[in-house]
Amino acid sequence: MDRIITAGIAVVAVPVVLLGYLILGERLLERLPQRLQSWFRPYFWALPAIAFAGIFMVYPTIRTAILSFYNRDSTEFVGWANYNYFFTFPDTLLSLRNSLFWLIFFTIFSVGLGLIIAIMVDRVGYESIAKIAIFLPVPISAVAASIIWKFMFDYQPPGSVQTGTMNAALGTVGQQPVAWLVNKTTNNAALIFVAIWSFTGFCMVIISASLKSISSEILEAARIDGASELRIVRLIVTPLLWPTITVVGTTMIITALKQFDIVYVLTGGAYDTNVIAVQMYQQLTRGGHFGRAAAVGVVLFVAIIPLLVINVRRFQQQEEMR
Amino acid sequence: MAEVFARLSSRAFALGLGAVLLIAGCSLGGTSTTSGGQSSTDVTVWTAWGGQELAAYQKVLKPFQDSTGIKVHLITIRDQAQQLKTNVSAGTSLPDIANPPNIDDVSDWAKKGIMKPLESFMGDQMGPYLANTYPSLTNANSATPLYIYIVNGKHYAEMVKTQVKGLFWYNKKVFTGTAPKTFDEMLAIQPPSGAKLFCAGLESADASGWPASDQIDNIIMRQSGEKVYADWIQGKVKWTSPEIKLGFQTYLKEVSAANVFGGPNTVLSTNFGKAGKPLFANPPGCLFLEQATFITNFFTQDYPNLQAGTDYAFFPHPSVNPQYDGNVNGFYDSFTMYNDTPAARKLMQYMVTKDAQQIWVDQGGTLAANKLVTKYPDPVLQQASTVVGGAKNLLVTAGDFMPSDMQHAFWKGLLDATNNPSQLDSVLARLDQVQAAAYAK
Repeated sequence: MDRIITAGIAVVAVPVVLLGYLILGERLLERLPQRLQSWFRPYFWALPAIAFAGIFMVYPTIRTAILSFYNRDSTEFVGWANYNYFFTFPDTLLSLRNSLFWLIFFTIFSVGLGLIIAIMVDRVGYESIAKIAIFLPVPISAVAASIIWKFMFDYQPPGSVQTGTMNAALGTVGQQPVAWLVNKTTNNAALIFVAIWSFTGFCMVIISASLKSISSEILEAARIDGASELRIVRLIVTPLLWPTITVVGTTMIITALKQFDIVYVLTGGAYDTNVIAVQMYQQLTRGGHFGRAAAVGVVLFVAIIPLLVINVRRFQQQEEMR
Repeated sequence: MAEVFARLSSRAFALGLGAVLLIAGCSLGGTSTTSGGQSSTDVTVWTAWGGQELAAYQKVLKPFQDSTGIKVHLITIRDQAQQLKTNVSAGTSLPDIANPPNIDDVSDWAKKGIMKPLESFMGDQMGPYLANTYPSLTNANSATPLYIYIVNGKHYAEMVKTQVKGLFWYNKKVFTGTAPKTFDEMLAIQPPSGAKLFCAGLESADASGWPASDQIDNIIMRQSGEKVYADWIQGKVKWTSPEIKLGFQTYLKEVSAANVFGGPNTVLSTNFGKAGKPLFANPPGCLFLEQATFITNFFTQDYPNLQAGTDYAFFPHPSVNPQYDGNVNGFYDSFTMYNDTPAARKLMQYMVTKDAQQIWVDQGGTLAANKLVTKYPDPVLQQASTVVGGAKNLLVTAGDFMPSDMQHAFWKGLLDATNNPSQLDSVLARLDQVQAAAYAK
């Protein structure tokens, strides 16, 4: 009970202290000379946010990086041993390979399909219905989506009634059932497919919004000049959409690298389908190895940084264009 | 997405922070109550049980509380090993009675006196306890004393319930022959046309592969003996050693395309709970399913009218190497005393009595640790009790006592070997690699 009270106090105290800081600080600021005030004020207001970010984001990041050089229970410095393990062990290398698969195929297909669908539905009368249909999987949580697909991919021995939709469909055209999630030639593709199904709608909506902002005069002009629709898409629409595509693309790459839930639910990383985020989780919970888990986290983080930088830059450019 | 996040972040952050603080406040709130002291009227017990198992335990406790007036404070804590460890290293109070600790901590805690040996508090009940409990659970000369919590000849866990694994279940209307005596005899049985000898299902979400590990445990302990088995758990026997490889090869006969319903793809895609369905299908898909006693709950889930003893039955794991027939795979529930109080002593002495154990057994689903209990509510448990009774060593499930990364690599290796038996050597070599890393501190 006393802990609940402590928690309650904390919940109330944090905003109260913040408010007090702002009110008192602002009073103090007012007494300073005008020039100092305008120099000091932004820092004063930004400080709480910086402190929060520092405590909850920067500190854990640095701490994780430090832990990655320590042993299982973080009691002994082991140098590069955890990284050495990550880049030499067959299991982790396999998850690195799979994450690369994800990065390439998931990004290309989700963004590509999103772009194609956005352009296509822009030219038909039932646009909103088509968009809703494609967008429907987006609000479904990844775990729920994975469970839906677990049923879709269900496998029964040849000759039995196929309860999985995919194998039932194969059966109607006289094909043998496929153990989608077990068979090593199909399972990675099946998992990536689930993610594409979930994210294409998201890509489509963003790209479509950007598409609407292209002035119809430009397209009219091109049509009058005799350009075919395909040529317009290739030479006018796509270049104008490029900043948006880059932002969506990098976001999807980050999603691919962070991919956890679909793999975890559908295969648990078995049958050569593991990816780095699941690997990190398993190192932590199964192995209880903080050092290795931290090393995987750092590798993932380092891989994502350049993409974040690109993303933020592009975003700023886009804002400036508006 | 970045844009959406940016807009949401401040509100979400505030909400999230509040939630985290609240959860942090609540989650441990219940555990920091009542310490042991020297109470003769109150006793604190941690249990990992919930639902029906907890209800059964409460029924067991009722006559004790009524007759002694001692109040038992029962707290369900799932991850006890972790919580106990945290409390021990923080020096905070421990429950009077709880599950034994993680196997890695046993020797250390025994030395430091954190756990109290049964010899120190059972008094004149110690003799009857040893005489009446299945010897495989209390034998200080066992090949693997640590796994039944015996350190330097002293007992640190009081056995209250037990279960056996490695039983072969069959449909009595389909398999009418006599139970095979040896593993090879079993493999030689001719299933009816269209059916296979075995069914199997290894899918179990994040823990996929564990049912196969039970199968192989039974083989290794009964093929190469308890010494090899215990050394293997402790990482002293390599996965590529001839004994373990032979165990894998023997297991693979149970899931080969020729012997198993649907072939390896079906085995890997089928959930362990659904594995037994083809036993009762018409026409049947297989003759036998190897699993522990709990599987009968899954049988009746799919076929509610099935009756134990008349529709289905089991035979114990057939002999692999007659020298090691006394080794039986199973598990047990036990209690350890952490605070020696008069009330705790009384409860520990009560729980092993025949009367207390009979109440447990009457609630169903379990075997008593006390062999004087012979009346079981269903014929399956009745028969299972004779399997435990005949055991020389009740050996724990290997993976559960291996380092966690080793256990999961083991399960995964079994999936890979089942999927592609020709890659057995590379699977075992990879397990050796994990072993070298997992046991190093």
